[in-house]
Amino acid sequence: MAWYFAICLAMCLLKETSPVSMAMRQTPLTCSGHTRPVVDLAFSGITPYGYFLISACKDGKPMMRQGDTGDWIGTFLGHKGAVWGATLNNEATKAATAAADFTAKVWDAVTGDEVLTLAHKHIVKSVNFTQDSKCLLTGGNDKMLRIFDLNKPEADPQEIAGHTSAIKKALWCNKDQQIISAAEDKTIRLWDRNTAETVKTLSFETSVSSMEYIPDGEVLVITYGKTIAFYKAHSLDLIKTVDAPASIHSASLHPEKDYFVAGGDDFKLYKYDYSTKEEIESYKGHFGPVHCVRFSPDGELYASGSEDGTLRLWQTAVGKTYGLWKCVLPEELTSENSEALYCPQPEIKA
Amino acid sequence: MSLKPPVGVQRLPRGPDPNSRGFDRSSPRFIALCPTSIPSSASTDPGIEEEQRVRSELRERFLRTLLMMTDKPVQFNMYEKVQVPARFGASDIDILNFHVSDLETPLGVQKEALLRCQDVISCSFEL
Repeated sequence: MAWYFAICLAMCLLKETSPVSMAMRQTPLTCSGHTRPVVDLAFSGITPYGYFLISACKDGKPMMRQGDTGDWIGTFLGHKGAVWGATLNNEATKAATAAADFTAKVWDAVTGDEVLTLAHKHIVKSVNFTQDSKCLLTGGNDKMLRIFDLNKPEADPQEIAGHTSAIKKALWCNKDQQIISAAEDKTIRLWDRNTAETVKTLSFETSVSSMEYIPDGEVLVITYGKTIAFYKAHSLDLIKTVDAPASIHSASLHPEKDYFVAGGDDFKLYKYDYSTKEEIESYKGHFGPVHCVRFSPDGELYASGSEDGTLRLWQTAVGKTYGLWKCVLPEELTSENSEALYCPQPEIKA
Repeated sequence: MSLKPPVGVQRLPRGPDPNSRGFDRSSPRFIALCPTSIPSSASTDPGIEEEQRVRSELRERFLRTLLMMTDKPVQFNMYEKVQVPARFGASDIDILNFHVSDLETPLGVQKEALLRCQDVISCSFEL
C-alpha cells in the first residue's frame, strides 16, 4: 500500500488541478438558511479578514457569509419583499440590496444595520457600488438607471433613460466611467456615466440572463439561451462564445482566466477551460435550477445559488486543502483522528 | 465505473442563528471596524459624549416603556388607518415583531398575534 500512499501524498502536494481532480470527487459545501430561491450572489474583494459573500433571496432576507467557509455572519433585516440583487463593496464594509418592495437599501456590513433606503418607482433588480463605494448604481422594472451619491443621499439621483423594458443588471465598468446594463428588451447597452449617453448597444435574439464584469482585463461575461459569451468591455467586441448542454442562467470567469463556470436549468454546474472552450467536468448537487454562480476573488472556489434555496461552494482544485475542505490521506480515514473529519456519504448514482 | 473517493471536509458551514440576526459584536472584524454609532457627530468630540449619553437615556426609556406595556391593553395605530387594541405581550430582540394577545380586528378577536413593527406607526396605553 506504500505506493498508493505515495501517489496520494504527491497529489495532495501538487497545486495543479488535473491530477488531483482525477483522483477525488467534488464535495460541495451546502449553505442553508434561506427559505426561498437564491437569485443573486456577490463576493467582496479580499480584506484583512478574508473575503465575504452576500446572497439575495426571494424570502426578503439577504445574508452575509464568510467567503471561504460559507459560515453565516448575519442577515440584513428590513426589506418587505423579495430581494432580487445584492452586492458588497470591495472592503466588505457596505452592502446594498435591491428588492421587490420598490427600494434599494444600503447597509453597514459590519454591524448589519440599515444605513439608507432609496425609494424607487418599481421593483429594483440590480445594485452596484463604484470602486470607491461613493456611488450606487441601481436598475429595475421602471427601465431607468439611477446613480445615487451616497454622501448626499437626500439629493435626487442622476437618472439615465433608454432601455425600453425592465433592467435586469447594471454594472459600473471601465474604472467607473462607464455603465453596462442588460434589460428584458434583449439589449445590452454601454453608457458614458458623465454624458448619460449610449456609447454602444448589443442586440440579442433572446433576453440576456446574466452579466459579469471582470475589471482586470476588462472582460464582460454574458449568458443567454445556452450560450456563454465573452466580450471586451470597452468596445463590446466579441471575444468568444461557448454553448452549453442546457439553458444557462449565470456564468463566471476565473480571476486568472483559466476556467469559467456556468449553471442553469438542468441543476448542474459546468466547468470549462477558457482557452480551449472544452467542458472539463460537470457537477450535480442542486435540487433546482442554478440562478447565479460566481468565482471567489482568489479563484479557489465558486459559489452557486439555486431555486432550491441553498448556496453551494465548489472547489476549483478538487481535493486541495482550502477553507473547510481537507485533503485526506488514506491512512487518516482509518486512524483515531478520523472522527475530526466529516466524510460525506458517497451518492449512489443510478 | 469505480466511484472516486469524495473530498473530506472538516465540518459543514455554520448556518444562521435562529435567535439573532448575527454580526457578532465580539468578532475581530467588528471590534476593529465598528464605527462610532453616531455618523452625524463625527466632527465634534465633546458632542459625541453628550449625544451618547442622551441616546443611552432614550434607549433606556424606550426599553422601560416596553416593560411597562407588558400585559396592559395597548392601542396600536398602524398604516392604512388601522387602529387596533390588544394586550401587549413582548417584543423580540430586534424590535421587529410584537407579540400581542386578544387583538381586536374587524374580523374578530385574535387570541394570539404577531404585529410587524414596521407596520406600527404609534401605540398608546394608560399607565
